[in-house]
Amino acid sequence: MMPLSYANPREEAVIRRIGGSPDVKKHLENLGFVAGGTVKVITALEGNVIVKVKESRVAISDEMARKIMI
Amino acid sequence: MSPYTLEEVVARNYLINERPDVILNIIDGTNLERNLYLTTQLVELGIPVVVAINMMDVVEKNGDKLNADDLARQLGCRVVQISALKGNGVMEAAEAAIEAAGGTKTIPMHTFSGPVEHALAHIEEAIVHDLPEEQQRWYAIKVFERDEKVLEQLRIPQETMEHIEKDIRAAEEELDDDAESIITDERYVYIATVIRSCYRKQHAGEMSVSDKIDRVVTNRWLGLPIFALVMFAVYWIAMVSVGAPATDWANDGLFGDGFHLFGNGTQQYEAAVERYGDTDAIIQAFAKEYHMEINEEAPEDSLTALLAAVPVDAKVTYLTQDEETLEPQTHPDTGKAELEAAVQEYLSTENGYKTNTGAPDPAGYGIWVPGIPVLVERGLDSIGAAEWLKGLILDGIMAGVGAVLGFVPQMLVLFFLLAFLEACGYMARIAFVLDRVFRKFGLSGKSFIPMLIGVGCGVPGIMASRTIENERDRRMTIMTTTFIPCSAKVPFIAMIAGAIFHKSPWVATSAYFIGMAAIIISGIMLKKTRRFAGEPAPFVMELPAYHWPTLKNVLRSMWERGWSFIKKAGTIILLSTILVWFLSRFGVADGTFRLLGEEELELSILSGIGSVIAWIFAPLGFGTWQAAVASMTGLIAKENIVGTMGILYGGTETYANLARVYTGLSAYSFLVFNLLCAPCFAAIGAIRREMNNAGWTWFAIAYQCGFAYAVSLMIYQFGNLFVGQPHVFGLIAATIVLCGMIYMLFFRKYQEPVKRTVRG
Repeated sequence: MMPLSYANPREEAVIRRIGGSPDVKKHLENLGFVAGGTVKVITALEGNVIVKVKESRVAISDEMARKIMI
Repeated sequence: MSPYTLEEVVARNYLINERPDVILNIIDGTNLERNLYLTTQLVELGIPVVVAINMMDVVEKNGDKLNADDLARQLGCRVVQISALKGNGVMEAAEAAIEAAGGTKTIPMHTFSGPVEHALAHIEEAIVHDLPEEQQRWYAIKVFERDEKVLEQLRIPQETMEHIEKDIRAAEEELDDDAESIITDERYVYIATVIRSCYRKQHAGEMSVSDKIDRVVTNRWLGLPIFALVMFAVYWIAMVSVGAPATDWANDGLFGDGFHLFGNGTQQYEAAVERYGDTDAIIQAFAKEYHMEINEEAPEDSLTALLAAVPVDAKVTYLTQDEETLEPQTHPDTGKAELEAAVQEYLSTENGYKTNTGAPDPAGYGIWVPGIPVLVERGLDSIGAAEWLKGLILDGIMAGVGAVLGFVPQMLVLFFLLAFLEACGYMARIAFVLDRVFRKFGLSGKSFIPMLIGVGCGVPGIMASRTIENERDRRMTIMTTTFIPCSAKVPFIAMIAGAIFHKSPWVATSAYFIGMAAIIISGIMLKKTRRFAGEPAPFVMELPAYHWPTLKNVLRSMWERGWSFIKKAGTIILLSTILVWFLSRFGVADGTFRLLGEEELELSILSGIGSVIAWIFAPLGFGTWQAAVASMTGLIAKENIVGTMGILYGGTETYANLARVYTGLSAYSFLVFNLLCAPCFAAIGAIRREMNNAGWTWFAIAYQCGFAYAVSLMIYQFGNLFVGQPHVFGLIAATIVLCGMIYMLFFRKYQEPVKRTVRG
């Protein structure tokens, strides 16, 4: 298991776990980051990543990307 | 529907407490899976729901197929396909909503897994059975999720809650997750099955065009260069190629003397001015040297007399001044040949030369349209208006209106470009690309745009901060943008550099660096104050797919912003311009209070105020009333500082006089103070407009002035220490300020964020 920040670009990955406070967790889940779902990193920029999740593109910062384990 | 931001809280409260007749749920068809997540919750509210699937044009273009009837059946509500961009189906959606408002309540078709439904049934029975039937399910699910606000609202008795808690925990144990995640997860699983049955994607698994563009545009190496290129293009179009001529036209033409229609005659006029050159100055110089008077009413005789009086080998030196910076230029060894040419040019009766002074008149060339002030002046003259009324209308009101409207053409161009960048989807990426850099000093990735635009003019710069979503970041950007020297400050910088620093290019360069340093230092310091407390919100945003915006939408967004500037900022600009006009043009002369001539500025009320407050600036090295007055007139427009200094320090001798009055240190301190202190009224108006709050506007102005004072104080006092002439008290004050800044920058801890509590 590793945080999303370290994922290889262009490779589809399965989300294992989502950490963080209940608020953060809920927010990420609302955006489509749920355990068992897939994500694909489109680009990564110093830890900030743009990912494709549930058919939409979401840009998330380093702090948030580290809470998503794949 | 678990509120994360303030807007979401408001929306949820509205739905629950106000219970509207119908919900029209507009969702993005290119991104159904994410959007249906909200829909599954809305249908549980027991309010009729109509789903309008937007962006169907894009869906069809991608070759994707959507079975709307099947979707409607599965969701249990009406589904309409629309394209807001093209305007298709919008009316049908509205009609469907009206129809549904009177109809039956939407009943959710979706059921959760066994253990969850079991717990939900218990909750419905134990707690929410006295609520209206159609609302029971939504409340039951929220209780299951342990939603704080709902629990607070329902005020469940302790023992019932314990009983329910047992059921929830049983479900959690069975499904091995917490209640909230179970619900979220099952919703997504359900949506996935719905989509599988009614949505067919043409290019499943392939990279979309947006993905490909994103891969390039937000690339680690290419991201910044592409951004720089786009920004350069925006700056160049808005400020140089289209913006500058447009603003010049509005300021000098429409609200100035006048302009040549479609540039008709401009070239001929400029050629005539070129040919005319320094004629006046040459003739004046010779006339002075040989003690002759030039009779402007009938110049021929006096000029012939002058020519006769000047010996063949005569040599004089004449002076000219740069119009913008007042920089003097000497032309030594001017001989009789030049005088002869000048006299001939002066007497040349070619059409269009003014009859009395000899300089070419632009009105004589091409099709000349007089400016509005010229027309108004003619009107006032014809009705014989009093001198003070003419002054009020022309120099007060007209100048104020001109200051407001002068910026509009340039601003519309800029807003057009920004609206385009926003609508096509690139703006959201800019924030991503620059976020890491700007986050360090408490600004948003999008703060760069206002600052870049600010190099041209602070007013559109401040208005460009509109694209920043986070309120704290936006306020910070508004407060710091005008630290960057705008183009109106350039003549002033050039004046100080020319008069005191032998035109050193370092003065201008350092001005820009000081501006940038001021932004960074302010960013870090303000971040640690209570007003800006809290970490910047973690950067999470949905990026829209790239698409080509319609002209109509871009134009509308441009117009809305332009109009709001004219309306909201305009009032402040107008009133302040009139006030300063009054203060600077009225005063006691020869024992009576009257309207003053332009050269009598030292008698005005403003100069009185200047002398009263001048002592404040003594620790900064420029405690003279002249400097105070120049700074105050700079509030109308920063380029006014040069003009005021010109009047107060004796016209053509300005540079020499400045060099006598100012030392290098006091001049630089004066320069820095005026670069960093409160911007011109137009920019203050823009700040007021964007802050939308008088308190924040005053705070911004006070901070800018205070910061400018502190920096100038340090420059002057430490500079004096450096050259070996320290002032004890000033030095102590400067040291205290420096220590305070160092403490704020490096030692003070970030404040705990103030939690936003919203009563539900």
